[in-house]
Amino acid sequence: MAFLLRRLCFYLAAFLAAATINFFLPRLMPGDPVQIMFSSAGAELPPESLQALKLTFGFVDGPLWQQYLTYLGSIFSGDLGRSIKYFPLPVTTVLGNALIWTVGLMGTATIVSFTLGTFLGILAAWRRGSLFDVIVSVGAIFATSVPAVVTSLIVVFFFGFTLNWFPTGYAADPALDPAFTLQYLGSVLYHGILPMLTLCTVLTGGFAVTMRNNMINLLGEDYIIMARAKGLSDSHVMLWYAARNALLPTVSSLAIAIGTILGGSLVTEVVFNYPGLGNILYQAILARDYPVIQGQLLIMTATMLVANFIVDVSYVLLDPRLKRA
Amino acid sequence: MKTQPFGLIRNRKALVGVAIIAFILLVAIAAPLLTPYDPGARVGRPHQAPSLAHWLGTTRIGQDVFTRLIYGARTSLAVGFGAGLLITLVGTALGILAGYRGGKADEVISFFTNMVLVVPNLPLLLVLAAFIGQASPWVIALILGGTSWAWGARVTRAETLSVKQKDYVKSAEMMGEPRWRIMTFEIFPNLISIVGINFIGSVIFAIITQATLEFLGLGDPKVVSWGTMLYAAQKASALSVGAWWDILTPCFALAFLGIGLSLLNFAVDEIANPRLRTGNRLGRWSALIRSGEGRL
Repeated sequence: MAFLLRRLCFYLAAFLAAATINFFLPRLMPGDPVQIMFSSAGAELPPESLQALKLTFGFVDGPLWQQYLTYLGSIFSGDLGRSIKYFPLPVTTVLGNALIWTVGLMGTATIVSFTLGTFLGILAAWRRGSLFDVIVSVGAIFATSVPAVVTSLIVVFFFGFTLNWFPTGYAADPALDPAFTLQYLGSVLYHGILPMLTLCTVLTGGFAVTMRNNMINLLGEDYIIMARAKGLSDSHVMLWYAARNALLPTVSSLAIAIGTILGGSLVTEVVFNYPGLGNILYQAILARDYPVIQGQLLIMTATMLVANFIVDVSYVLLDPRLKRA
Repeated sequence: MKTQPFGLIRNRKALVGVAIIAFILLVAIAAPLLTPYDPGARVGRPHQAPSLAHWLGTTRIGQDVFTRLIYGARTSLAVGFGAGLLITLVGTALGILAGYRGGKADEVISFFTNMVLVVPNLPLLLVLAAFIGQASPWVIALILGGTSWAWGARVTRAETLSVKQKDYVKSAEMMGEPRWRIMTFEIFPNLISIVGINFIGSVIFAIITQATLEFLGLGDPKVVSWGTMLYAAQKASALSVGAWWDILTPCFALAFLGIGLSLLNFAVDEIANPRLRTGNRLGRWSALIRSGEGRL
């Protein structure tokens, strides 16, 4: 419990750091940052939107620390300002709608590729040096060293444009009304297959290699030899003695990988024109919509911290030593 | 001799990796000799398919794709290796400092390292690049160096903790060697494989991230690099109009370079961590890599 509490405090500090970066960046711009942002967005907006933009970045009358506190206050009350491109929609609304799709895509891809990668890694380590091991290891090298942008573009070119098997854009058929009907959910699945395929291709190899290397480092341990000496079956030793212990460091590597997964899904969404955060962000970058670009850092950081916390909790569940401590 | 073929495969990893990188490097250096065109100039009709005059076709505005590819290799390699070096320098220095000094220094460095690790990298880079506006490749290399050292610092610190318990470090301390000397001449040389892996990994990361940032429209579109090629092609809807050569060319180049670097990285990893080896004999090529490790 103390462990989780300590982690929570740490996450709060990390979130504050991201917010602080957001606060100071516009202030480091030469001249009047709000005017610059306003003009580079190329927006013809009413004066009240300029006022809203000032409030978004905490430009109130007063000393710097007061501006900083005002800014933190509005962030923690869930106000990230208003989008320039979609004025007067609040940033939270713009990003919130997109977040659902991103988390859905990311979450499913993570679970699928983590499970698949872990099993491939276990088997490869168990049959170290076999043809299977070579295929998994070399395949993993190839899949993980190709940037997500490239994998997405190749997948969309091959399965989308050449074979025409799957749609090349949107999260569901735009002609359908979003509702919990079988038809709509089916359409969501159908549209999600290619982005999922891309993300799983990018991610599975990394998990497989981590698991394989952890397993190999454990296979020489005495308790593995002991388990074999007891005459336990191969699969029992592999899963309950070796894999169970090798899983711990793999789970902590998952926490580090979350950033990569987030980045990968952002890029994938842009290529597949998927209505998640990545796509919103891409549009915001093209339109120089600074409040949205800044807001995404906070929302992504929060998403990442929540994901990290989930990993922490599962770490506690997997490692009995932490429960007693 | 059943392990022999797999030992060979391990050796081949390093060999193929080095060959791929050397090939791309050579092409990048010899770019002006390999093509008659200028990478920025319009030299043909828009979106022409590959032909004898334009080996890899032309872009939406009639630039030669092959020319842009080999000139772009210069930018991508330069940023990759430059940023990789910077990331490794910062990470190694902080890691050794935290691991060796311990105490307050360790606490502060570790806290920042962990903090940087949980703030998502790409979104942070997007915000930084957006405020800088049309970031040149060197600016991208600099911000990569400033934000991506955390993983290296963490790994180096862990390794330093085990190296500093070794007898030769203890004896150097007894003899009264200054701390900076112990860190640079006693500890650092023994971390060289970790530093090598960190460096190659950072180069891969820098190349991928630069391409990603530019693809997302945060780079300087006037610069010729693989990332801006992707950006221009995507913006011209190259895939939907059927100009696959425009977008797949930088794609395969990035994949090719990424695979080359990763092969090298895995080979170094296997040499540094003997248990990961699939064979049990150090091959000729891994010995070659090992002798060159300091230069990686």
